[in-house]
Amino acid sequence: MSSSNTTRFTTLFDNSVLSRLERLRLNPLRRLTVRSRGEHQTGKGGTSTEFSDYRDYVPGDDVKNVDWNIFSRLNRPYIKLYRHEEEMNVVLLIDASTSMQFEGKLDLAKQLAGACGLMGLMNSERVSIYACHHLGKSPELLPPCSGRVSLRRIFKFLEGIQGGGDTPLEAAVDAVLRTHRGRGVVVLLSDFLTLGDVNPALNSLFSAGLEIHAVQILSESELHPEITGDIRLIDSETGDTLDISGAAELFGIYQDQLAWQEIQLTADCQKRSGRFLRVSTNTPLDSILFDTFRRKGWIR
Amino acid sequence: MIWPFVAPAAAWLALLFIPLIMLYFLKLKRPVQAIPSLALWRQVMNDQRVNSPFQRFKRNLLLLLQILVLGCLILAAMQPYWGTGASRAKYLPILIDCSASMGALDKQGGTTRLDAAKAEVRKIIDNLLSDQLVSLIIVNSTGRRLTDFTNNKKLLSNALDLIAVSDVPSRLDDALRLTQALARTYPIERALFLTDGNTPSTVDLELPFQVTMQLVPAGGANIGITELNARRGTERWDVFVRLEGAQIGGGAAKVEFYQDKELLGSEQVNLDPKESQRLVFRASADKPSQITVRVLPERFDSLASDNIAYLELPILRPLRLYVDPDLAAFRKALQPLKGVEVLPIPGSTKPKLVNGYDLVITEDVGETVPQAAVSMTVGQIPPELSKLVKIETDFVKVVDWQRNSPLLRHVQLGDVQMSENPVSATNVEDRDYEQQAYEILAHAARGPLILHKDRDGKQAFWLLFHTNRSTLPYRVGFPILVSNLVQIAMQQAGLAEVRGQSTGVLPPRTADPSTTYTVVSPDGLRQEVTTGNDGQLGGISAPRIGKYEIQRGLATVTRTSASLLQADETSLQFVDTIQFREISIAASETRQATDKPLWTEFAIAGMLFLALEWWYFQRRPGGW
Repeated sequence: MSSSNTTRFTTLFDNSVLSRLERLRLNPLRRLTVRSRGEHQTGKGGTSTEFSDYRDYVPGDDVKNVDWNIFSRLNRPYIKLYRHEEEMNVVLLIDASTSMQFEGKLDLAKQLAGACGLMGLMNSERVSIYACHHLGKSPELLPPCSGRVSLRRIFKFLEGIQGGGDTPLEAAVDAVLRTHRGRGVVVLLSDFLTLGDVNPALNSLFSAGLEIHAVQILSESELHPEITGDIRLIDSETGDTLDISGAAELFGIYQDQLAWQEIQLTADCQKRSGRFLRVSTNTPLDSILFDTFRRKGWIR
Repeated sequence: MIWPFVAPAAAWLALLFIPLIMLYFLKLKRPVQAIPSLALWRQVMNDQRVNSPFQRFKRNLLLLLQILVLGCLILAAMQPYWGTGASRAKYLPILIDCSASMGALDKQGGTTRLDAAKAEVRKIIDNLLSDQLVSLIIVNSTGRRLTDFTNNKKLLSNALDLIAVSDVPSRLDDALRLTQALARTYPIERALFLTDGNTPSTVDLELPFQVTMQLVPAGGANIGITELNARRGTERWDVFVRLEGAQIGGGAAKVEFYQDKELLGSEQVNLDPKESQRLVFRASADKPSQITVRVLPERFDSLASDNIAYLELPILRPLRLYVDPDLAAFRKALQPLKGVEVLPIPGSTKPKLVNGYDLVITEDVGETVPQAAVSMTVGQIPPELSKLVKIETDFVKVVDWQRNSPLLRHVQLGDVQMSENPVSATNVEDRDYEQQAYEILAHAARGPLILHKDRDGKQAFWLLFHTNRSTLPYRVGFPILVSNLVQIAMQQAGLAEVRGQSTGVLPPRTADPSTTYTVVSPDGLRQEVTTGNDGQLGGISAPRIGKYEIQRGLATVTRTSASLLQADETSLQFVDTIQFREISIAASETRQATDKPLWTEFAIAGMLFLALEWWYFQRRPGGW
């Protein structure tokens, strides 16, 4: 390892990326917070020092909340409302099955998870990480943690995730929801290459009060496969085989299927007030984080 | 329709499918590639199956193509043919009419009937199966086999190319007899006769096989010369020309008459279909000459060969007769006849000629008697009939005679009495005389009275009774009989009438005995003919219209011509039924259905599948 690496806070990012990420926040579509205090500002009035709105005084209101300056000018009592800052759960679900080991998909997933975790911790959210490997086994878990002190812990956990296993996404979600409690945001980092139906899993996440932020990570060979002639394809997870003849003829159908899947997953997530984004492993991380995420409104 | 195979045993080659399929799957070791997940690919395959119902085949398209290639080759080896349902003849003699009418064109610049028939035959040859054998037989004035039974298409095609139109009428019976002879060697079930229908309507044959008569489309309008003859006139020849229009259509034409190279005149004719017209003109007779009649059609004329005719005119001279001085009755009857020179002149000291007479009337038999083309021997029995008949001294009357015989035409023999009675030997019948080439012209009660022999161009009449010992010279029929005899001699000498010579065989002529002559035909072909001891030059084939030259060595002996077609050929009439002895054969214009071999199509399909497989195998990835 070079000397420059020893100065890096984590192997996932450069320090410059870290410093830029510290100034960003996750931007969920809905306010899914927990009652415990946090820095996540909710829409409803709170007791923070940040002003939110005025309302008419009603009998029973604490008079200490009356804005006396307004009263002196208008001769009517108004209650001053403040933003309520609450904690939000940020659940990072990493698909660490074998299929994610291809062409840096898992590395990108860990980087994106690290970025989201960093932004969560910087925003005083409760960040938990689940890495799913084998079907039937409990996912590798980083319990909810918060505060900047947990930053190194998160990165260490992420750096330690090893790929392998055959857990489909829907099974991984079920495993996560067996242990997780609390509303917030779930960031699904997977290739979504599953034979099953992801809709029940998305429904479960939505019912659990988690806003779905789904990121589909695909490699270049999956986006633009280069397969010719007669070939036998082997599923990396199940070991199943599929014989293909005249693969060149199938490119058009493959691309149609890929586009259709993106449309379908986007629709599935939006129906549950969520978001979906497809990224390629060939796209630089900076571009994903500071360009794509910001333009899509995932972070602010 | 049936679809049989000539070589069904080749179906065993289908066993090659087993190693083909086994080798295909053995060699099909696909490269393996691990991918993250099959999820998308499975959906792709499902989608493709839905969108492409033939995906199951496309997946193994190479195998499918190889199976198609092998299948096509096996089918080609089995030699399938498209059966027409008609009985398939293994031995098929094809009779091709190449008579003069087959040279008729269907339109201006069109094809001849023979070309149309050859095209039909060529189709049959092209569709020949390997177990079918064909023999080509041409039909003109005779029948001639061009090829033995063979399925060698090149040989048959070459023979077909050699067939040309002959300016002769068609005689189907000769060709059928030839085919009948072949049927004794080969199991012939059917014969195919290709013609324009211009054939005899009856054939006196009983055939052991079926005959299919296929008509080629008839020719167009035609006008032509069907007769040309000249009759002796007063110091001139009166030349008669007969023109006929075809059954389909006649036409207008200008007819020109030439004597040697001098134009005697011309006439305009306009003939409707089936109509005929006779033209007459006069030609000088002071020297031997050749008459040429030329028809110049003004519109389309389908047959050119009948538009010209030739006639050889001899110089007019008196008929030269030798009459025995003792036959006074004959001499007396000859006196009033004009154009007759009777020799020997009584009291003359000129030596008796051996030859050079046109007619000899004698009562002697032997080598000392002068020779002539026509002779009458009185009171003698032909030497070769000496055992069949003898003369008894008895009065006898004529029982019956042939009234239509040229000699006895208008001759009444009913009240003639003879004192010499020819009596046939025991058990001798008329047939015995006929076997000796004698025809009985008049019968007595027990034997023949007048005999006629026509052999080698010579006509001999035998009166088995002597006129001096009969009442015949006193009857009115006697001068008529003598006149008839003179007319026969004149005809034989060509002094009374000259007829245009038809194609086929040139008339026999007298030449030097045991000498070889060369006959040059109009198309330049040369044939050698050798005369016998009698000096008769005969049997010269004349299949072409035109002038023939007879040479001896390098010297030209004489020139003659053959130019007239039969009227049936010129009229282009066609029959739709040929009556055989027991059955009749109806003609059909529809092409005879023949089995079509399909092995070439299958072989080509196999090659195409092979090329397709090669292209599919070699094509660049992502091309579709």
